[in-house]
Amino acid sequence: MLLSAKQDWLGNIRGDILAGIVVAIALVPEAIAFSIIAGVDPKVGLYASFAIAVIIAIVGGRAGMISAATAATALLMVTLVKDFGLQYLLVATILAGILQIVAGYLNLHKFMSFVSKSVMTGFLNALAILIFMAQLPELLNVTWHVYALTVGGLGIIYLFPYVPVVGKILPSPLINIVALTLFVYFMGIDVRTIGDMGDLPDTLPIFLWPDVPLNLETLKIVLPYSLSIAVVGLLESLMTANVIDELTDTQSDKKRECKGQGIANIGSGLIGGMAGCAMIGQSIINVKSGGRGRLSAMTAGIVLLIMVVFLSDILKIVPMAALVAVMIMVSIGTFNWASLKELKTNPKSASAVMLSTVIVVVWTHNLAFGVFTGILIGSLFLAQRLSQFLYIESNYDEATDLRSYDVVGQIFFNSSDKFISLFDYKEAIDKVVIDVHRAHFWDITAVAALDKVVIKLRREGTDVSIIGLNEASETLLDKFAVHDKPEEIEKIMGGH
Amino acid sequence: MTVLDKTFILACIDDSEMSDSVIEYAIWLAKNSQLPIKFLHTIEHTHHSEHIHHEGTITPNMTEKLLNELSDEERIESKRLIADGKTILNKATEKAKQAGLTDTIAKQRHGTLSEALQDLEVEIEIMVLGLKGEERQSDTKGLSSQLEQAIRVINKPVLVVKKSFAIPRNLLLAYNGSPTSKKAIEIINKDMFSTQLLNIHIMNVDKNLDTAKRLANEVETALLPLKCALKTEAMTGDPVQVFTEYQQQHNIDLTLMGSFSHGKIHGFMFGSFTTQMLRNGSSNFLLLR
Repeated sequence: MLLSAKQDWLGNIRGDILAGIVVAIALVPEAIAFSIIAGVDPKVGLYASFAIAVIIAIVGGRAGMISAATAATALLMVTLVKDFGLQYLLVATILAGILQIVAGYLNLHKFMSFVSKSVMTGFLNALAILIFMAQLPELLNVTWHVYALTVGGLGIIYLFPYVPVVGKILPSPLINIVALTLFVYFMGIDVRTIGDMGDLPDTLPIFLWPDVPLNLETLKIVLPYSLSIAVVGLLESLMTANVIDELTDTQSDKKRECKGQGIANIGSGLIGGMAGCAMIGQSIINVKSGGRGRLSAMTAGIVLLIMVVFLSDILKIVPMAALVAVMIMVSIGTFNWASLKELKTNPKSASAVMLSTVIVVVWTHNLAFGVFTGILIGSLFLAQRLSQFLYIESNYDEATDLRSYDVVGQIFFNSSDKFISLFDYKEAIDKVVIDVHRAHFWDITAVAALDKVVIKLRREGTDVSIIGLNEASETLLDKFAVHDKPEEIEKIMGGH
Repeated sequence: MTVLDKTFILACIDDSEMSDSVIEYAIWLAKNSQLPIKFLHTIEHTHHSEHIHHEGTITPNMTEKLLNELSDEERIESKRLIADGKTILNKATEKAKQAGLTDTIAKQRHGTLSEALQDLEVEIEIMVLGLKGEERQSDTKGLSSQLEQAIRVINKPVLVVKKSFAIPRNLLLAYNGSPTSKKAIEIINKDMFSTQLLNIHIMNVDKNLDTAKRLANEVETALLPLKCALKTEAMTGDPVQVFTEYQQQHNIDLTLMGSFSHGKIHGFMFGSFTTQMLRNGSSNFLLLR
């Protein structure tokens, strides 16, 4: 492991450092913007981004991924900060970290498999919408200068990369910030600047224990926030890890990533930073800029801190419009535009899952609720579909006055009513044989349904016998370990 | 016997100068042991994108575009590496055929050498590889980090080739009484190594000369049945230095010793004895785990 660690750190020094610098430049406006979303001083997001990026570089499970203060987690803190203040946010951050470490030890990352592609798309679209909505306060009730600056900024961001040579070397969001700042400064235009939004860091961060009473009352206040932050943070981090896995064709250690996010958040909280997680956009920028190793996240964090500490006087005069332009770019880039086209072509159920995820998130401002809704609706659709896999073949033997029912398919909570309705109870008959050896009883609702059928038939004076119950009920056992061998699965599912 | 029970001499080859000797040693081992050779070439994706963008913008569909770009680049790279590897493997099989060995297998796997070895471990009887891989050719002192990883992951004997091929005549057995060094006695007794040996030097380096002598003598009896000259040595001093000097003085072709018996942390902190021996020694090495 030490050897692969060496490779992770030093395998791509030049690429990692250059990419780290590009990321650091992109992180500064985002960290400030996310602080503003959360309602705290810009320095809270900047310290957080430094701490999280650097700590994750060491303890994270996915080399090449960038973690920092994020919109997804910032959105969850708004009411906590408004009602109780920064100190409670710091406690919530530390507690979220602890919860994430616990989640890591409990292997909760495995639940990511429940998050379908539609839910993921919904997550990103909702995130994009929320980031955009968070910029609106800066764009409402302002002079026309702000609109002009924002549009100009966006123009620079999207067009500068087309400038020959320098366009591919210098990050265009940085050019946007520098250009707008110089313009506003020298033209003497009176618009809001970052300095108006609160304190910027002027020193290196220091270790600080949050100034709150450590009692049950505090726990009651912060726990719901911490839970949401922990869940959303892990969701976005694991999602991002999957994206980077795919881009770089390498594996990540998801369990280590969960624990790493936890440690990073605890570290952030202890130096006065807010909670964060992995950033999809920045991580892709990192890979695109040639970052593959752990060194790039480390570089990003350190360069970010150096930049803000030494440049805080200059940062103060950066117009908010430049920042808004960057965030609109992030929003546009995060939104999955293809998913709009796919609404027409994808199955309706997939679109419903995506849309419901988006709607719930935008409504509650909590990505976790959206994801849970998406998973729930997706599961219901699946249950609905699976319950169609059930039919009964019925035969009557006149000589013996015997009716045989041959049940084939999946019987579980959602198909049990259908199962019951497939029998003919009104037929006056001597004997009924129900052959279930080609059916599967997945839960106790299914077993109860079979009992119900038997009782109903008996009431009509029919003798009922059941064949093949052992095979049918094998799926009832919760011992999934039994089913992990191909021959075991074949034994159960064979004939279907 | 099922197919899985079939074991091979695994020869790990690449584009480096050592590969020719690796092939020759594998052929020599195959002739002595009647085991088939499997030539292994690994395709390592150390590929780093040529088209790096530093514009730092988040654009729509960035993931998909980047994924396509990267996979296109890597596809071209992989195809080239596979073709190169095939040439290397063909040359090796051809050489084996000329030496009268027809039962050889050529295999390519993606990933690092140690990953490939983990997957193939069950079928390895003995493994042959060069001290330096292709990436480290220019580096004269350094050992490829791949090598240590490769030796550590599998529990099979490894022949590390450092010099060009010559039938081993003088063998040095570094013996310290440990279970691995007892394994060493077993392996020498096999025809695979012993048939053409002339001299076996059994040596123990210890702080205490008496222990060293006792241990060295212990082996002699075990190796007496062999038809070659045995020489027992007990010495004190810095083991690496004593062994490497002895190798030079006595024209040792092959040194047999246990390897990486300490954990990785220990090796990281104090430097591994095995690594130092491999780096400074003047013979080829047969390492036992």
